[in-house]
Amino acid sequence: MRSMVLKDLYNISRNVRSIAFVLVVLMCLIPTTGMGGYTFISAIMCSMTIITTFSFDDSSKWTRYALIMPITKKELVTGKFIVLSIFCLVGSVFGLAISALGGILLKSAEFDVKTLLFTAMSAFLIAISAGALSIPLVFKFGAEKGRILLIVSFAVPVALCFGVYKLLEFSGIAITDGLILCTPILVFIWCFIMYRISCSVFEKQEC
Amino acid sequence: MENILQVENLSKHYSGFNLEGVSFSVPKGTIMGLIGENGAGKSTTIKTILGLVKKDSGKVSFWGKELSYSKQFKEDIGVVFDDINFYETLTPEKAGKISAMAYKQWDKELYGNYLKRFGLAENKEIKTLSKGMKTKLCIAVALSHKPKLLILDEATSGLDPVMRDDILDVFLDFVQDEEHSVIMSSHITADLEKIADYITFIHKGKVILSKSKDDLRYKYGIIRCGEKLFSQIDKEEMLAFRKEDYQYSVLVADKEKAGRKYKNAVVDSASVDEIMLLYVKGGQAK
Repeated sequence: MRSMVLKDLYNISRNVRSIAFVLVVLMCLIPTTGMGGYTFISAIMCSMTIITTFSFDDSSKWTRYALIMPITKKELVTGKFIVLSIFCLVGSVFGLAISALGGILLKSAEFDVKTLLFTAMSAFLIAISAGALSIPLVFKFGAEKGRILLIVSFAVPVALCFGVYKLLEFSGIAITDGLILCTPILVFIWCFIMYRISCSVFEKQEC
Repeated sequence: MENILQVENLSKHYSGFNLEGVSFSVPKGTIMGLIGENGAGKSTTIKTILGLVKKDSGKVSFWGKELSYSKQFKEDIGVVFDDINFYETLTPEKAGKISAMAYKQWDKELYGNYLKRFGLAENKEIKTLSKGMKTKLCIAVALSHKPKLLILDEATSGLDPVMRDDILDVFLDFVQDEEHSVIMSSHITADLEKIADYITFIHKGKVILSKSKDDLRYKYGIIRCGEKLFSQIDKEEMLAFRKEDYQYSVLVADKEKAGRKYKNAVVDSASVDEIMLLYVKGGQAK
């Protein structure tokens, strides 16, 4: 499994400069989105990169080769989720760093360490939820169709969050700190469900 | 002789193609050549043996045990496909590091030696390597985890004769250890005539023959004759025949017997290429 993670990191290392360039260009949205919004954009952008690793695998017929190595299908799926976590973490930390830097330079009112950390954590959770949905979709439909389905995989978690928020509001349940602290657990459960679906989809596939 | 691989009645059904009852065995210390035209089922056979596609029926035993796909079993099998499976921006060094993490039996020093022997620079990106060098890299990776069985699926296709000769020498070295075996699918029958001990011929998903190369070389023959003699040849003896412009070519399993029986006929030895052509393009009397 470590070899699968290393392979993806090596493969994507060539794209780091172009990803960084896009993230720099996207900084021009900061006046509109605010520092917090940029952190979300950065995390989601990096999360989307997981699809690129599948494209690399497809073009080199890697999956077929990986399965002749002493690696199980489950380990291969686990590797993808670990890589996704790394990408989301990098994106969130990058967004956090830019937000912090921007806050210091512009002496913004938004510059509050607690708020920044909370935003970065939220960005990480949203990005990983969306990325986790994209993995079973790509296993099922392939990297090319997966790119189109990206919209679905990123819209669904947002819609779900919005739906839950509205449901809580309608039920008269106040969003307390305790409820917010439950979010990482809910995201973990969501990712675990996506992992199990990915394993199940991939197990049935022939290479 | 103990078999390293035994395949019995292996079947796999797709819409439009069936692999049916494929059986053959690979003894230790030998090279088995898998031949057949494009789409005959060679790659499907290899993928099914490796568990990359699920078999519908049949039995695959490695070292006398039915296929389990355990990690140890995978450590002992090296596979080279027709194209490199590492992404083109990787280097041999990185491919080695990835493989080292995957295989417990990985021998870094051995890998370094193979890279040197094949003239592969450690830091050169794969996309800059020629087809032959890419194949050599795949072979270096496959051999560096010290497998006992090497499976090659069209690995030498598209290489020039010099490069192929270099690679065939590596396989011959590999089987010097009597615990080692090679299964090699190839269109290039000349390569297999050079190094294979056994030939398995697959046609339309079925095994037409699986014999020692010496049997094919010294026992099989082709009767060259006219229409009159052709009509006299016992149909039971005809494995395959082909009508050419001025003569018939008839494949028989015992050329000496045919020579004695049909005294007016010319009986030539049969090359693997000719045997394959007669089966694929010719007709069967039986």
